[in-house]
Amino acid sequence: MSTFIKDFIEREKVSRRNFMLATAAGVTTAAMPGLFGSGVANAALTDPALAWSYRDRASAYWNAIVSGGETFVESLGKTKADMTSLINEGSSEKSLSDIKSFLAKNSGNCAIACDANDSPNARPVAEAVKAAGGYVSTIWNKSDDLHPWDIGNNYVCHLSWSGVKPSEEAARALFKKMGGKGGVVHVGGIPANIPAIERLQGLMNALKDFPEIELLDVQPADWDTQKAAALMSSFITRFGDKITGVHCANDNMAYGVIEAFKAEGITGVPITAFDGNPEAVEMVINGELLATVFTNPMWGGGIALALAHHAAIGTFVPSEEPNEHREFYGPSVVISTDDVKEFKARFMDATPTYDWNDFWGQSAGAIVYN
Amino acid sequence: MSRHISRQTITRWAPLMVLMVLVGFFTVINPDFFSLRNFARIAIASAPALMVAVGVTFIIVMGSIDLSMEGAVSLNAVVFAFAFLHFGGTLNSWGWLALPIVLAFGAGFGLVNGLVHVKLRIPSFMASLAMGFIGTGAAILVTGGNIVKVDDDLFRGLLTYRYLGFPLMVYMAGGFLLLAAFIQSYTRLGRNFYAIGGGEELAHASGVNVQRVRVAGFALAGMFYAVAAVLVVARIGQAESVSGANFMFISITSAVVGGVALWGGVGGVWNALVGVLIVGVINNGMVVIGLPDFIQSGMLGVLVIIAVVLSTDRRAVAFVK
Repeated sequence: MSTFIKDFIEREKVSRRNFMLATAAGVTTAAMPGLFGSGVANAALTDPALAWSYRDRASAYWNAIVSGGETFVESLGKTKADMTSLINEGSSEKSLSDIKSFLAKNSGNCAIACDANDSPNARPVAEAVKAAGGYVSTIWNKSDDLHPWDIGNNYVCHLSWSGVKPSEEAARALFKKMGGKGGVVHVGGIPANIPAIERLQGLMNALKDFPEIELLDVQPADWDTQKAAALMSSFITRFGDKITGVHCANDNMAYGVIEAFKAEGITGVPITAFDGNPEAVEMVINGELLATVFTNPMWGGGIALALAHHAAIGTFVPSEEPNEHREFYGPSVVISTDDVKEFKARFMDATPTYDWNDFWGQSAGAIVYN
Repeated sequence: MSRHISRQTITRWAPLMVLMVLVGFFTVINPDFFSLRNFARIAIASAPALMVAVGVTFIIVMGSIDLSMEGAVSLNAVVFAFAFLHFGGTLNSWGWLALPIVLAFGAGFGLVNGLVHVKLRIPSFMASLAMGFIGTGAAILVTGGNIVKVDDDLFRGLLTYRYLGFPLMVYMAGGFLLLAAFIQSYTRLGRNFYAIGGGEELAHASGVNVQRVRVAGFALAGMFYAVAAVLVVARIGQAESVSGANFMFISITSAVVGGVALWGGVGGVWNALVGVLIVGVINNGMVVIGLPDFIQSGMLGVLVIIAVVLSTDRRAVAFVK
């Protein structure tokens, strides 16, 4: 009689002894890296691969950021092609997976500058870079409870631009131009974005000092020119002549607001914007815009990559720097009719040169949470 | 003769009734809504969307779908702006050449879209989406991310010069709408769209060259996307790589809300018009009555569902995909 079935069953049963030995081996292998501490991550890298991860090139702002990064890379003696652009098209998942692919391709020998696209995505990005042994610095989006010093040296720093104070200054200039009374509307960015929240907060702060100015309405136009034009048209229906000032959260939306007024044949309503794009600066010069805010994205793009690069090659050790060097604000300059010509001469007609080794020279202070 | 109004009649007129109810609703809450100026504002905002909706209606009536409008409008807007500036930058000199150039380019882009779908046998969903990405990428490549400004006062007269209270761009959109209605009802091509949408095998067996009609449909839609792009540039005075943003949602929603059935063969350009006006009225009305912004998206969704429910003859639908 064939004992095929009995033998088969015997073979398929995992003997308890073999099972225990295999488990012990597996657990030990998994624990091995942890036993020796996180020593790998702190070794200095040589000639790390450089990358900038951002949304897309469809705006003057991000173009300036990228050109800042490229200028820094050229200052190292490399070419523009040595900086990889990781474009995430507004998708946090793509941002994370692009960075992981870049890390894998270069075996962790990377220095990356990144805008994580939304606040919760900053943590997975920082942890992925740390796990691979690379170095990353982030700008704009980061959740409040995430700090570079909690992650370690691999998360070099976070750079942001406070929207509250400069937006407040722009609002005050607007209210002065309105003569201290009248009605103002706010055309806002995507409501969940930190810059949108901060710039609205700046307007609210300024309103406290001008009791005769009425905030008629606050609506989002998602940073988009066409949406802003449609929104402004609807505002004009609702409020008509009561609108004597417009506070926009960025330049692109201000262009749409101007067009909406043009369509109605309305002139002379002061408008403030934010970003300091070249077209907006021209509009401040010829009076179509009252003011805009310049955050020097070219410097920001270069310095974020410079910090990641120099931390990677060991020029400085992030954990030995004070907290305000690891979370800091970039410079914000309010450009209005008084100083616009000088600004244009310095920043637009002449290409400014920056010392990429002076990491914190233009810092506007440590980031404040409230 | 039956004294009851048939269900079919109700579903046919439902979108228009929904539009009138909405206008009445917003007017009751804020009487400023019901003014010529405000209707002109709604018309200005709706004109580019109408052109895109008309273009995509032809495709939907055929039973396919076209998702390339965002990239197509962006690329067409950029091509138009560059051509206009190249030919002197003003309508006074040779700038008007830019219009036929962009119409031809838009039709060509749609033609490629149709060929990719038909010849390579890629489902229209995928083929058009991919072409849309190509369009956006080409627009970014050509502009380098920057805005191209078109400042000619004569051209901007499309927005600033009003006749009977409505800017010229509204009449331009209306003219192309009439052209689309003519194509839909009085040309062989238009009738063939419905034949294919109603029953492709039947149409093929009856001698319709389905492949050729399909490609022609996509090319026609491409031409209407080019018209939409010109209207966008007229409205905001600039062309950029995101000029086409948001058009996908608004055009397909408008078509369906207006009564164009997604499975093909039902509806036409007049349904697209009513649908675009419904969406335009909702967007304008919500701001005019002062609805807080965090409720607006939800309200838009609810109103769209109500409009589609009312305009779909559900008993005629065997299964919903």
